[in-house]
Amino acid sequence: MTGKVTEEVTRETGTGTDLWRVIFAPGVWAVHFLFCYVFAAVYCEKLGRDAPLDLATWVIVGATVVALGLIGLSTLWLWRVRGRSLTDDDFEFEHNNAEERHRFLSHVALMLCVLSAVAVLYVAIPMLYLTSCR
Amino acid sequence: MTPDEKAAETRQLEQVWAQPRGWRAFSDVNNSTVGLWYIATAFAFMLFAGALALIIRLQLAVPENDLVPAETFNQLFTLHGTVMMFLFAVPIFEAVAILILPAMLGARDLPFPRLSAFGYWCFLIGGVFVSSSIFFGQAPDAGWFMYPPLSTEQSGIGADIWLLGLSFIEVASIAAAVELIVGVLKCRAPGMHINLTPLYGWYVLIVGAMILFAFPPLIAGDLLFELERLLDWPFFDVTRGGDPILWQHLFWIFGHPEVYIIFLPAIALLAMIVPTFAQRPIAGYSWIVLSALGTGFLSFGLWVHHMFTTGLPSISLGFFAAASEAVAIPTGIQIFAFIATVMLGTVIRSVPMLYCLGALAIFIVGGLTGVMVAVAPFDFQAHDTYFIVAHLHYVLIGGMLFPVMAGVHYYYPFARGKMLSRTLGIWSFWLMFIGFNVAFLPMHLTGLLGMPRRVFTYPAGLGFEWLNLISTVGAFVFAGGFLLFAWDCVRPRRKEPDVPRNVWNAGTLEWALPVPQPPYAMRSIPVVNSRYPLWDDKDFVHSMDEGRGYLASAPEGKRETLVTSVLDAQPLQVLRVGKPTWLPMIAAFGLGAVFIFSTYKLWIPTALGGVVFLAALLRWLWTGTAIIPEKPSKDVGGGLELPLYVSGVRSTGWWAMFITMTGDLTAFLSLIFGYFFFWTVHPNFPPEGMDGPGWQWPAVAAVVVLAAWALTLFARIANRAGRVVLARWLLGGGLAAAGAGALALVAGPLTTGLDPTTNSYPAIVWALVVWTVAHLMVGMLMQGYCVARSVFRKMTPEHDADLWNVTLYWHFAGFGALLTALVIGGFPLLT
Repeated sequence: MTGKVTEEVTRETGTGTDLWRVIFAPGVWAVHFLFCYVFAAVYCEKLGRDAPLDLATWVIVGATVVALGLIGLSTLWLWRVRGRSLTDDDFEFEHNNAEERHRFLSHVALMLCVLSAVAVLYVAIPMLYLTSCR
Repeated sequence: MTPDEKAAETRQLEQVWAQPRGWRAFSDVNNSTVGLWYIATAFAFMLFAGALALIIRLQLAVPENDLVPAETFNQLFTLHGTVMMFLFAVPIFEAVAILILPAMLGARDLPFPRLSAFGYWCFLIGGVFVSSSIFFGQAPDAGWFMYPPLSTEQSGIGADIWLLGLSFIEVASIAAAVELIVGVLKCRAPGMHINLTPLYGWYVLIVGAMILFAFPPLIAGDLLFELERLLDWPFFDVTRGGDPILWQHLFWIFGHPEVYIIFLPAIALLAMIVPTFAQRPIAGYSWIVLSALGTGFLSFGLWVHHMFTTGLPSISLGFFAAASEAVAIPTGIQIFAFIATVMLGTVIRSVPMLYCLGALAIFIVGGLTGVMVAVAPFDFQAHDTYFIVAHLHYVLIGGMLFPVMAGVHYYYPFARGKMLSRTLGIWSFWLMFIGFNVAFLPMHLTGLLGMPRRVFTYPAGLGFEWLNLISTVGAFVFAGGFLLFAWDCVRPRRKEPDVPRNVWNAGTLEWALPVPQPPYAMRSIPVVNSRYPLWDDKDFVHSMDEGRGYLASAPEGKRETLVTSVLDAQPLQVLRVGKPTWLPMIAAFGLGAVFIFSTYKLWIPTALGGVVFLAALLRWLWTGTAIIPEKPSKDVGGGLELPLYVSGVRSTGWWAMFITMTGDLTAFLSLIFGYFFFWTVHPNFPPEGMDGPGWQWPAVAAVVVLAAWALTLFARIANRAGRVVLARWLLGGGLAAAGAGALALVAGPLTTGLDPTTNSYPAIVWALVVWTVAHLMVGMLMQGYCVARSVFRKMTPEHDADLWNVTLYWHFAGFGALLTALVIGGFPLLT
């Protein structure tokens, strides 16, 4: 897609991607992070420091898969509206109408999905390397 | 419209927004006045804490020094950290935002000006109280994070001063957060879609939201801490089942996001300054927004990296190390966007830009050492050494102080109509930049050589005499630079001419204001169509001055601003904001008396303070909020007719209540976290032989509180349906039910003989009960208030904002009570 988009695209005010959708993916990261931390902390506290992490590893891996799945769903939904800026087909999003705002927030939300997915993976990595509660 | 009519309009605005003069000036609530007070006060505290730092550096300049004794030294570094963090770094954000945000968004004032004033007075009173303690030798002395058991068992009254003084100031922070979030979401100029909002607004929104989740855990922690010190409830006492680590968790759940709460608004200033001096729009607007949001979230996953050496399982450390590394990604994106803007533009050399570049240079060093200490094994070595002192000062001075200095240089003409001296600015910058690096760069080495933090002296021969001496010299050079800057800010400049309008040729809305700034800010509220309206629309200022925008007059004699929709900034309502009044100040003094006198256990003055606070607050609400307007709507100009009274989910008051209660819920959940924390660390929880509070009384409480909640909701529905008398009866019933629920909740632990001083289990149960009962009592007060409003015809079926907000409060209070009953009554059945 090249060239200037001259056609005015109309959208009803207040519709489209909103702030809740923008924070959905980082919200998933937050819940995933909290779950991993709380689960591992309780697991290690109740089973003692010598306990192996076997079960905990699988639970965390499972939680990570779920989290990535949810972020993936959000990504999929946003992928359809990944349109660029109305004015110059770039990522400036400086036009003054509801459609541009929708595209702007969709872009922000989409990139937050990427960031959240990376952060979720980061958090899961230690679990793959550690073997006990020590 | 004739010139005469226009002049008449201007006169109306001038009269309505006139600032009180003489001694009444202290009753002012307008954002531009309160913002200036706020900034001046925060900088005064900063100078004070800086002076403490210089004494610290003098003491450490040579080995075996005896300038100050160890006890004084402990007070010095504790107060230095506390004042810098709580009385400068966080408040300066609120201060600057209160001053510049409305003009930037095209609002005449923030939605709740009296709340800003209240917050300011709380900050001033609490700050003076905490700071002055050192002159009586009573300052807190256990480090700025007050770790128990040192602080619970050894500290004198200093720990109480810290706890109560700072809790009081946290009230101010949350008040500011409410104000600023609603301001950004609902008070933007018409047409300022959320993608056109100045980046500063985005940052303020994000930081405001972070405050709601970061500060309440500390308030909960403060509550537990003070209950332990005052009533001997053993939350942190290991011998009675407590655990000091709980405090560390609650403190750092606050403390780490706080670093970003400080950093993001300062970076936001860079996001306004850099485009102006690059003379081009910011590069990567959407990328900055998303990385700021990402940083806001990820910053909550870092808190345990302050606790790497407490012996937590390595898997816990792993999670937090991973998140600590991840947060570098969005932080980096923001920095790169600024660098890109500078590269793509034509840079104008100026003092603000100098500070911006200095900030980036220093912050990047601090960020890199941050990545180092986020690696747990490295942290084990560097923990509690001067390496950490160096790291945190690089982060805070590069990430906060230098950007704020840039901001002061940049916005001084906006606030005062005069320029700061370019020569003095360049001198002070280089003195500070060089002095800072001379002081803090060697500390990395001092730390790696093994010098611990917080020691009041050290023996010769360990290899860090010279490094310490160099640091001290650097600290004084730094201080000299800052004093030069301070002098430049306060020196008399009557003879200097006013600066021209938009002196920096900036593109954002706040620079459209005339110089000197009239109290009503803009002649009319403009329609905004771009991110940099002053660059993109050459007729913008003229059209605004001609009164072609909205609300160009004030024929009703009320202070008014526009409320617009969240996403697309469509005009929704004319909001009438408060005029100057003494009430916020009186309320703050009352609340201050409660906190200050309770520190010294003077209960009668405490109670009197409480009465003053409550009386002032009720009068403020009764006379100043949800006022029924003389007509349902008004013409704001251009043929647009907007309502003057809005209730429910579309009103600013409802949003303020929602935001406040979200913060309140966070504090409550922190207490619940405390309960489950004790369950996690104890093999037997509840401990053997403690059978309270049983399930029966909590169950009764849950049912009765549910009834109170439902009655309040039905009252709102009945009132809306015109059945006013029924609504009053329902509210009365709700009030009675709430009282009964509170009694039932207390009956549980009371009848089963749970003594909170014996063990952490009864203590945390009682803490939850006390918290919930207090909330039920506030809820009862609100129900009674609504009945009174209804009886005095200040609340009618059409004008029911009070009842909507009270019902919203009850959604939270009811949920909290239900959860308390379930946890204290139900959870023991499961174990």
